[in-house]
Amino acid sequence: MATDKELSDFLKSVEKRAFKRTAFAVRDDDSALDIVQDSMIRLAEKYVDRPAAELPLLFQRILSNATMDWFRRQKVRNAVVHNFSDFGGGGDDDGEFDILEMLDGIEGNVGTESASDSVSRDQILQLIEQQVGELPARQREAFLLRYWEELDVAETASVMGCSEGSVKTHCSRAVHALAKALKAKGLAP
Amino acid sequence: MTKYTKSTFSSMSHRDSLEARFGVRVASMLSERAQSTAPDISERLRFAREQALVRAQAARRQVQTASAPVVVGRGRSAVLANPLGWWFKLGSAAPLALLVLGLAGIAHVHDKAQIAAVAEVDAALLSDDLPPAAYTDPGFAEYLKTNRE
Repeated sequence: MATDKELSDFLKSVEKRAFKRTAFAVRDDDSALDIVQDSMIRLAEKYVDRPAAELPLLFQRILSNATMDWFRRQKVRNAVVHNFSDFGGGGDDDGEFDILEMLDGIEGNVGTESASDSVSRDQILQLIEQQVGELPARQREAFLLRYWEELDVAETASVMGCSEGSVKTHCSRAVHALAKALKAKGLAP
Repeated sequence: MTKYTKSTFSSMSHRDSLEARFGVRVASMLSERAQSTAPDISERLRFAREQALVRAQAARRQVQTASAPVVVGRGRSAVLANPLGWWFKLGSAAPLALLVLGLAGIAHVHDKAQIAAVAEVDAALLSDDLPPAAYTDPGFAEYLKTNRE
């Protein structure tokens, strides 16, 4: 059974990411805060007897379900269909795009910080956040769960309610879409 | 059907590794950005966390109270298993039994008194010279009334 301290530490470590992830989905800070609070309370009330190691996966599931509940309540079905549709536009052009080049570019721009230009760094971070927010919902969900929440493929599939193959596909498409979008914004060598 | 060669798997693995590196790198930048969350949002998140902890404590208490009656039940069983408990139980039941017996006795005495009174009236009527039917005669009743006056 997780102690109060374990639960508190866990919630503290995850709350900001949870808020951002939800805000990406619902595009409204107040609603995102409500959803995160609701998820925290659900976790605390219903799963207080679970060991601390199980909390991350449980919380991600609860948060995803709470976000879906929010969409259902809002009855914005058209928006949901739009957001949750697969990344369109004629499929991927993975073969033509050199992600290694993009990776070097992004690391060159952000990874090695220029002491003289922290404003530029903030702008880059903001741009990256914006581009993540503009990803199709399923791709963004898979990308954030895999790389930000550090869940493995099986855990991500379980939270998203899809197959492991779909998770890999969503993640790959998200990475390529992000790399492409960032390159288009000039964040490239 | 696609035929996968050793070099195909190698390039797929290389691509996966690049994608993972890119993903982790972007995620680390998102984390950095998340640290600069507005103070009001951080405050609301702190409040939400505290609310969740309060609910967790309440849920724990509920679980503990739910298991408490079992202990009480065992306690009572232990008391009842003690011979002194039977005496205590008998002592508690005795006043009630006395009350019931007393009420039954009073009812019996009252019934006997009523029967005796009715029997006395019947005996007086039957042993008198006047037939009982005379008391139903209105003329005789009037006669008794005027004589009394």
